[in-house]
Amino acid sequence: MTDHAAAAPARAASLDSDRIAVVGLAIAVMLPLVVFVVAPLFEILKMSFVTPEGIGLGNYIRYVNSPKFSRVVGNSLAVAATTTTITVLLAYAFAYAMRRTAMPFKSALGSIALMPLFAPSLVQALGIVFLFGRNGLINRTFGLSIDIYGFWGIVIADVFYSLPHAYLILSAALAVADARLYESAQVLGATSARIFRDITLPSTKYGILSATFVVFTIVITDFGNPMVIGGDYNVLATEIYNQVSGQGNFQMGAVIGVMLLVPAALAVVAEKWIMRRHHATISERSQPLLIVRQRWRDRIGLTFALAICAMIAAIVLVVVVASFVTLWPYNMHVSLRHYRFEVQNGLQPLWTSIAVSLMAAAIGVVVTIAGACVTRRLRNAAGQALYFLSILPAAVPGMVLGLGYILVFNNPANPLEFLYGTLLILALCNVYHYHAQGFLIATTSVNQISRVFDEASTSLGAGFLRTLWSVVLPIIAPSIVSVGVFYFVRSMVTLSAVIFLVTPATQVAAVSVLLLDDAGNVNQAAAFSVCIMLVVALALLLFRVVLRASGRRHVSLMR
Amino acid sequence: MFLTLRNISKRFGAVPALNDVTLAIGEGEFVCFLGPSGCGKTTLLRVIAGLESPDAGEVLQSGASLLGVPARLRNFGIVFQSYSLFPNMSVARNIGYGLECRKWPKEAIAPRIDEVLALVHLRDQAAKYPHQLSGGQQQRVALARALAPKPTVLLLDEPLSALDAKVRDELRAEIKDLQTALRVTTVMVTHDQHEAMEMADRIVVMNAGVIEQVGDAIDLYDRPVSRFVAEFIGRMNLVRQSVARIPPAERQADADPYVGIRPEHIELIDANGAQSDALLGRIEKCVFLGSFTRITLKVDDRKLMLELRGRRTDLVVGATLAVRIPAAAIHRLQDATR
Repeated sequence: MTDHAAAAPARAASLDSDRIAVVGLAIAVMLPLVVFVVAPLFEILKMSFVTPEGIGLGNYIRYVNSPKFSRVVGNSLAVAATTTTITVLLAYAFAYAMRRTAMPFKSALGSIALMPLFAPSLVQALGIVFLFGRNGLINRTFGLSIDIYGFWGIVIADVFYSLPHAYLILSAALAVADARLYESAQVLGATSARIFRDITLPSTKYGILSATFVVFTIVITDFGNPMVIGGDYNVLATEIYNQVSGQGNFQMGAVIGVMLLVPAALAVVAEKWIMRRHHATISERSQPLLIVRQRWRDRIGLTFALAICAMIAAIVLVVVVASFVTLWPYNMHVSLRHYRFEVQNGLQPLWTSIAVSLMAAAIGVVVTIAGACVTRRLRNAAGQALYFLSILPAAVPGMVLGLGYILVFNNPANPLEFLYGTLLILALCNVYHYHAQGFLIATTSVNQISRVFDEASTSLGAGFLRTLWSVVLPIIAPSIVSVGVFYFVRSMVTLSAVIFLVTPATQVAAVSVLLLDDAGNVNQAAAFSVCIMLVVALALLLFRVVLRASGRRHVSLMR
Repeated sequence: MFLTLRNISKRFGAVPALNDVTLAIGEGEFVCFLGPSGCGKTTLLRVIAGLESPDAGEVLQSGASLLGVPARLRNFGIVFQSYSLFPNMSVARNIGYGLECRKWPKEAIAPRIDEVLALVHLRDQAAKYPHQLSGGQQQRVALARALAPKPTVLLLDEPLSALDAKVRDELRAEIKDLQTALRVTTVMVTHDQHEAMEMADRIVVMNAGVIEQVGDAIDLYDRPVSRFVAEFIGRMNLVRQSVARIPPAERQADADPYVGIRPEHIELIDANGAQSDALLGRIEKCVFLGSFTRITLKVDDRKLMLELRGRRTDLVVGATLAVRIPAAAIHRLQDATR
């Protein structure tokens, strides 16, 4: 063993090769974040201060003084507040039924509740219009004149749109419980109402707060549903679109964008702050709570869960049915004529969407996994900066990001201007729009790998890149796939960020749905939505099959 | 010396982990860092490994400083406390990993894997994955993996503490035999005094970031320099020197310091003998522990612990007992104030 002793003290020069790899990768991750997140935000801010009289607050003053301002801001806040309250209540009850009752059919009900995640955001509004709209099933059948367009239409559509997000958070919060607390309370003679108030509610309060802020952000930034069902009821997200696409007023679009950015960013910051204060209440010694059968509680839970799932399924189902009938709801004969797509570019937008989504998945996997690995390695200020930049997009509404992209990339002075109008910019926009979520999936799984593996690898002579390639990536392989699927699905259904970036040649499917609906071709809009959902469903099925074939299960797709 | 630690200090935030530690380790020596949790022993091992960089001081190997040499270039083998085998690689690939990283020629890798697997008696397990092995087998593979690239130093970070008692004893002997056969310089961290006494050539007792005492097992047991070492290795009674009946001429000048006496060195005497150095006490507790009996004796308001060979059915709680402390059994200790 002594033959190697003489050679041991090595040169400091070799240290640099490893450091160069880390720093190089950090820069490779950081630079695009600056170009595709920071620069668009900066341009929006700059644009909002540009007035004919020079740089100043003119745009803001003009906007705040217009009667329209208080109305649109008020509308947005009213919709967001109302929807958030209803969604969190329903989602809590649903999650409680799933986690704390012994009702049957849990896995089917849980899957149905997640359906809205895998449909374009305006499908909820579309379905509700088919049911309750001017020419909807209910009004036509019963000769009523329910007016769903406006505040309540948006609220109902957004409740179902945001419900799965809240459900996932609350379900996770309710999934963990220390049986010892519940047993102690029972032994001390507490009633079930009292146990709920004193144990269950306090132990899930962080989940409730987190769900509240997440839902608020989703609703206030939602664009698709208010577009379809809002009627004359304008909210901030649709107002940006009207200003930019309708009137070509970029300054005003930017001002409203900043107005939208502020509450969304505040909600995200609040959520992160709360989650940081949330210390684990479950220790290694905790006993898992066993759910025993309780007839009435289980029956009530099942009834409630069935009702929620029936509504979620009905909205999607009615869209599917409407796509297969001659003319909803007047002529209900089965017909495939809406699937001929004799308008615009035919089915081309669907292929475009698939291409963009595949690109986004490929790029998204690389940048988020690289980001997660670098931030794990950089335990210093640079690492924190990188982390901040990586989750910053969570606070940026899609409409704002999309507008920022126009300002940055539709500019001949920008060397990256060639990207404008390509599929690549749509893919990149999706990658960075959903960067925070993809990055958090990657970070969570990377951080589950014990640091002992890094240290063992290092002591055996491996550098940063080799450890990454031989040890870290193989261990997190299932998560890599799930980040890819996450990006594919999000890119298939997203509307808000890309709406500003599509050209006639690069139109994507979700935008087609909106334009078809806008033009009154609701049945074709439904058919296009069904195609999108079909592609998403196939992708998810493929993902399941691949995971099962490789012997892995229970890989989460969301958050 | 082969490996020298010179004035090493390290803090984590406001918490000092190592305070000016200096130590020399000879080639082929087996050294144990022994101490309670939080004493800095693991940090010191990690500084040697290059996994932590010291705030001050340096590690030298054969006189050359390792400052700025990263862990991956030191060629030190490490075995960690928790199972650190790469779960995505077979046993053979785990062992071959370090050889690939260190650019061994391809044709030399397979024979070397076979060789080290034979050393740890696991040749038949080469194709298995870590999760198919028991805890003891996994630590053996970890040992084989650390030894495969012929490291100049072997570092063991509590390698046995996650194992069952029986497996631990087996592996303890096996590691020691292997180290003796290979003569590889070895540093092991442990909080288990028996492990240290059985395996180490020299034991480094650490407390609160400093080295309390260095020596072999006999040194530390027979000649502890401080109360900490005396109480950490074996048991030690602490009594005032006046109580111990030390003749005034031999007493230390200052007031009346404490001295230490090992429980097994206290002698029973005939209560009626009326010897001048007899101590009379009442038996408060009498515990049979197999090869010996432990007695707690109350002398005035102080407790003395005695260990007597074999089973002593003649001694019962409440009885009076006379004992004496032989002068040779008295340990003068630093920091022995209470």
